[in-house]
Amino acid sequence: MHNYKLTRRDFLKASGASLFLSGIPLPGFTSDEPPGNISVIILEGGMDGLTAVPPFGDPNLSKMRESLVPENYLKLNSFFGLHPSLKKLSSFMASNNASIVHATSFPYKKRSHFEGQNLVEGGGLSPFSEKTGWLGRSLELAKIPGRALSLDMPLILRGYSENDNFFPANIQNSNRINNNLVDSLSKAHNKESGKVFQKVKQKSMERLGNIPRDAESLAEYAGNAMSKNGGPVASVIRLDAFDTHASQGDGEGKDLGVELAKVDNVIAAYRRGLGSAWDRSIIMTITEFGRTVAMNGTWGTDHGYGTVGLLAGGAIKKSRVIAKWPGLAKNEQYEQRDLMATIDYRSVCAACIEKSLGLDHDVIASQVFFDSKLPRVFDYIFT
Amino acid sequence: MNEQFRISQKLGLMFRPEETLPVDIKSWAIKQLKVPSPVLGTETVHSEIKPWPKSLQPNLEDRAAMMRLHWENTKKRRQKIKGYDTEAARQANDRDNRMHKKDMLKFAHQNVYGSDQVRQRLVSFWTNHFTMGGFESRELSSHAMEEGILGSFNDSFASMLYKATTHPAMLMYLDNHISAGPNSNHVRWARSRNEQAGLNDNLGRELLELHTVSPDVNYTETDIRNAAKVLAGWGMDVQGNSPQNLIEQAGTINHWDMYKKNWAEPGSKVVLGKTIYQGKQGLKQLTDFLATHDHTINHLSFKLAEHFVRDDPQQADIDYISNAWRQGNGSMEKIHTAVIERAIDSKEPKFQWPMTWLFQVIRLTDSRYFKGWSEVDTYLNRTMETRRIFEELGQSFWVTRQPNGYSSKKEDWMSGEMFERRIRFSESIYNSGARIIDPDVIMDRIGANKETRRLLTSLGMSRRNQFIALMCSPELMGLENA
Repeated sequence: MHNYKLTRRDFLKASGASLFLSGIPLPGFTSDEPPGNISVIILEGGMDGLTAVPPFGDPNLSKMRESLVPENYLKLNSFFGLHPSLKKLSSFMASNNASIVHATSFPYKKRSHFEGQNLVEGGGLSPFSEKTGWLGRSLELAKIPGRALSLDMPLILRGYSENDNFFPANIQNSNRINNNLVDSLSKAHNKESGKVFQKVKQKSMERLGNIPRDAESLAEYAGNAMSKNGGPVASVIRLDAFDTHASQGDGEGKDLGVELAKVDNVIAAYRRGLGSAWDRSIIMTITEFGRTVAMNGTWGTDHGYGTVGLLAGGAIKKSRVIAKWPGLAKNEQYEQRDLMATIDYRSVCAACIEKSLGLDHDVIASQVFFDSKLPRVFDYIFT
Repeated sequence: MNEQFRISQKLGLMFRPEETLPVDIKSWAIKQLKVPSPVLGTETVHSEIKPWPKSLQPNLEDRAAMMRLHWENTKKRRQKIKGYDTEAARQANDRDNRMHKKDMLKFAHQNVYGSDQVRQRLVSFWTNHFTMGGFESRELSSHAMEEGILGSFNDSFASMLYKATTHPAMLMYLDNHISAGPNSNHVRWARSRNEQAGLNDNLGRELLELHTVSPDVNYTETDIRNAAKVLAGWGMDVQGNSPQNLIEQAGTINHWDMYKKNWAEPGSKVVLGKTIYQGKQGLKQLTDFLATHDHTINHLSFKLAEHFVRDDPQQADIDYISNAWRQGNGSMEKIHTAVIERAIDSKEPKFQWPMTWLFQVIRLTDSRYFKGWSEVDTYLNRTMETRRIFEELGQSFWVTRQPNGYSSKKEDWMSGEMFERRIRFSESIYNSGARIIDPDVIMDRIGANKETRRLLTSLGMSRRNQFIALMCSPELMGLENA
């Protein structure tokens, strides 16, 4: 059938997954323990929710996207199934520790990765309106300063000025950082960059052992770190390769199936690392948009709107598929091409913050998402 | 810093010790746009600087042949055919038929040993703008950089846009080579065989969103789809197609002019109000239209200002560049001249990319920090693998995450970790590569200001610490107080 080699974007393994830990208390800083911890898995590229959680109960599903529906999906209820790659998530659902939100999205409809990513990380009212992120602002409101484990400082975590980052370097012929030197540098620079140098000094006083570079190990490492007293309160893992324009596939061995298996493994790895801290943990996925209902010309899907959010963690007591199902018929689609979004995903983020950091919903709505009318969906998820 | 170094920090890569500092820095910078760009480098880490061997700079046809051969060998290895399935054979295949490692090194060499520093800065800017990442593309992106981008510096932006859009590295990166017009022959035939084929809007979208007009023009999904229809038919996979296939489908073996009539969408298409006629020349029509569009000019003038002039470009900066753009009818030379003039006139320092900073430090200290071209596949004790250097810096052209490339905003690079990298690289250079390690000598050459001198004095006797502090001083990092 294919007489040419189909390619998809390939990324160097080390940059295929990045981990950021935040809310690691700085030495000498005391604060009240928050009620739980929160982990965000960013799926870059726009994850196709209809493949991850096929609504087989909808009569239009197979008509619209025949080659993209996995045959041996796992049945969740009479309407929704789960992609076979999400086996561990399915078992978490069976033990009431995972839920799914479907037909959901941040309120962004213009289908650009870069605007979309900026919006789902920034949490502002329009792309590029914020220089800080919703998780960073939340940690700030909860008075949890912190450190992020990463080479760059992702937007989602920017906020509290005390936040800084850490990522072990691997540069030949360089030695332990000299703190006096860093001090002098910090004083020589102006306030903004001086502060950045101060963070170099603080970090060099800690040793964090061997940090792995693949997603699963990073998740387990993160979970483990979060389970400790005085450990980080938030973690962010970024996975790419969800922009499935070509050759998306349906089953486990195919492109999207392979990526979903990674997500599944990451969630399971978090579980392993968290241990008993699982009970107060919530893990959630975010992605910039979903994809077109119908398949495109290259066995894939193009940028869309509504998608799914996957939630897992002991903080969930009862598993549900939360959706106000819009339907897949042409006139039910958004602009006659995409899955419609009927739930504002910001509400889901807000609920997870409320649960893990103990902030009040109204505070989150107005000061994290700048939208005092943001609906509260806490009860659908956590009761 | 004296004016020569201030300008070469903002617009160039700083002066090597053997280079004479120009008296009139402004005319020097503008003349830089016309200097030749011989590719200079070294055979081993410490050997003399001389031109890169031609054999390591294959043209597009040779690169395509290497990619085809690599793929053939790989298939044979997977089929466990004798002679092809050994580890030695696999390594030989990579060594002989893959170019990206050598290309990455060549890029580093050009930047640290060349005298065309302003041109190299501009090449990096535009290559970042037209990001072509991806697994197969990384074997070709160096060619796009030299022939497509640098090769357009005496032409117009329209020419650069067309060259970048039609380059196989771009077409494969954004899936265009497998995109077919919904009403094309190819789709009709596929349907009759019950197979799937059709349009992929990836490149169409990025062409409008990233490369030219930007979302500010409020294009619709129809505009994007129609742009994709204009693009349908362009490109063929490089490693998987024999010259026979190429001739059969596109009538040529030139991957830079690869148009498959049977995959093209018939009829005319309207993009942002402009009617594009069917046929091969449609794409040039579209790129010419986009290249001269007001929103493109404004969008890209902004990006140029943000990268070269100041972090928060003022309207006056953008206007200066966009006026020169319009008056010069998109002449790259006129655009670049305006960028140079505006950058010189603005007295603010500019925080540079990690990669730019590294090249500048290496040139300043006459360091031998990169391998030589004969050592690409050798493990060296005291010289890092080129790819690792860029990874540790947090910046590489051959392995970019997304098509929008690297940010020019200071705030996206201001993290404790990034700063720590600079301290570590400074030390690493001091320990293992630098030939000029006396901070006083360097400070005298660049005309360091008294704050920088005070900083070094405060560190006492350790020359190593002084060296590191100098490279991480506000002055050399392009931060305030410079």
